[in-house]
Formats: sequence, C-alpha cells, structure tokens
Amino acid sequence: MLSRCLWLGMAFFGLMLAPATQSADVNDARARYHYQMFCQGCHTPDGSGANAVPALKNQMGLFLRTEKGRGFLVRVPGSATSKLNSAQLAEVLNWSLDNFAGSSLPEGGYEPYTEAEVAQLRQQPLQEIENYRATVLAEIVATMQ
Amino acid sequence: MMSFLDRLFEKQARSVAQTSSRRGMLKKLGGALVGATAVPLLPVARADNHGGPQKPVEQGSDTDCDYWRYCAIDGFLCSCCGGSANTCPPGTEMSPVTWIGTCHNPADGRNYVISYNDCCGKSTCGACLCQRDEGDRPPYRPDKTNDINWCLGTASAAYHCSTAVVVGVAFEE
Repeated sequence: MLSRCLWLGMAFFGLMLAPATQSADVNDARARYHYQMFCQGCHTPDGSGANAVPALKNQMGLFLRTEKGRGFLVRVPGSATSKLNSAQLAEVLNWSLDNFAGSSLPEGGYEPYTEAEVAQLRQQPLQEIENYRATVLAEIVATMQ
Repeated sequence: MMSFLDRLFEKQARSVAQTSSRRGMLKKLGGALVGATAVPLLPVARADNHGGPQKPVEQGSDTDCDYWRYCAIDGFLCSCCGGSANTCPPGTEMSPVTWIGTCHNPADGRNYVISYNDCCGKSTCGACLCQRDEGDRPPYRPDKTNDINWCLGTASAAYHCSTAVVVGVAFEE
C-alpha cells in the first residue's frame, strides 16, 4: 500500500515536471557558447539587456503566448540573419528560454522550437522591428486580460 | 605531600628527557603542520577542478599588442590607460554591450571566448593603440565588427579604451 502511494506520488511529480524537461536535447555547453558568441554581446551575460537592447530576462517567455510572438523571436534580425544554422538557432532559443525566461513562461511550460519550424520562420526576417514588436506585445497583453 | 609531587614530576620530566629530543619535537610539529595543510587540499582541489570555469594559462604582458587576448582588438589598451585587460581605468564606465569573438591561447593550446568591453565616459586614452582585427567583419555584420563605437550600454558614448575579458571556453564540435 505504501509503495503504491509512493509510485502514485512520483508519477504525479513526474507529470508536473514534464513541461520543464521537454527540451532535453539541448546541449548546454554548445548552446551557451552560441549564446555567448551571437547574443550575449548585446543582450548581456544574464539576459538583462542595456539601454535600447531589450531584456530577455523574465520577458522573452511572453512572446510564446501568441503565434506571432513565437515567430517574432525567430524573425528578429539577430536570430533570423545570424550565422547559426537552424538546428543551432532552435537550440540557442530553447536554451535562452530555459535560462532567462523565468516567470514570463506560460504556465505549464512551452513547446520547444524545432529545426524545421525555425528554418521556415527565418525566411521572413523582420525589418521595422520596433513598431512590429509593439503590435505583437499589444496583442499578447490583450490575451492576458 | 609536596615531596611526593616533586618526585613525581621529576620522574616524569626525566623520562621525557631520556626518551625524546628537542629536534624530534620540531620534526613532529613540522610534520603535523605540513600534513594538516596537505590533507584537506587533496580531495578539495580535485573537487574544485571538476566542471568549474577553466582558466587560461597566462603568458605575455597585457600591455603588449601581441598579447593573446587582443587577437581581434581595435583600440587603445586599457592596461596602458590606468586599467587592465579586465578592468576599466578610474572615472570610466564599462559598457555591458560589447562585441565578442574567440582567441587562441598559445600557452595552453585552447580557444577562449573574449569580450571586448569598451570603457566609456572620458575622451580617448591615446596610449597603446592596437589593431589586430582577426575575424573582424564589415559593419553589415554588426555583432562581429570592431569599427563601431561599442559605448552603447553606458551613460556616455565617449570612447576611452578597450578591455579583453575572457568569458568562456570555445565549444569544439
């Protein structure tokens, strides 16, 4: 009886943990290196950003709440036109979400980016980002009210 | 009673004097001191090395343009301006927005990720101009160019000098 309770308890906790461990195929050392080489220069080591550089920390998860927002993280010039291939870009996006998004992530976790999804989205890089970003965020705020 | 204590202590003292030497005492004390410093280091040092940040083996002077970390630098060396390869001179602010590349360290044969944080807020330093530009890209690759003023995250955009901070080890595929 006791062991059955334990198993049930473990299964329950396993379910609770499941969303957070979806992106298990992220190679931490490789993703960190790519973040350092292609993102950190502007977004800073802990994702705080500076002056005109937007913060990733406790912010970037907001964009996962709409389809446009999810596309935005891939289509911004720093992502879409970077030297990283699409598998590497998907990995560094998932790694950044896991390490920086914090409280901004949707409840219940998120669906990690895949190579195929990123490859398609980056075909349309954004140009007038500031206005577009404001529109995307306004739509996200509307879904949260 | 007193004579009993006298005899007792005299006997004990003579027995110690006959069976030990002053140098023997020094030897044991020295051994204990050295041993005490070595014993805790053994497992602690091993645990400390495991998975921690890997520090480069340093060789050369950070006031020379040839210094390994400066492989892609373009600017005045902060180490000649009152700062160092890692720190800004007094009165300047380090820009958190920076450009990042890798440099090969000949002393240990590894590649390290280097962040060229500029120090800002005072007019140009003017000492130790160093331009090596390895891996420098044109400004249409803005994250990999050293031709722009990187004083972008600071209160003042006035450029003073450049640092070269080791921020990690390059990932080898």
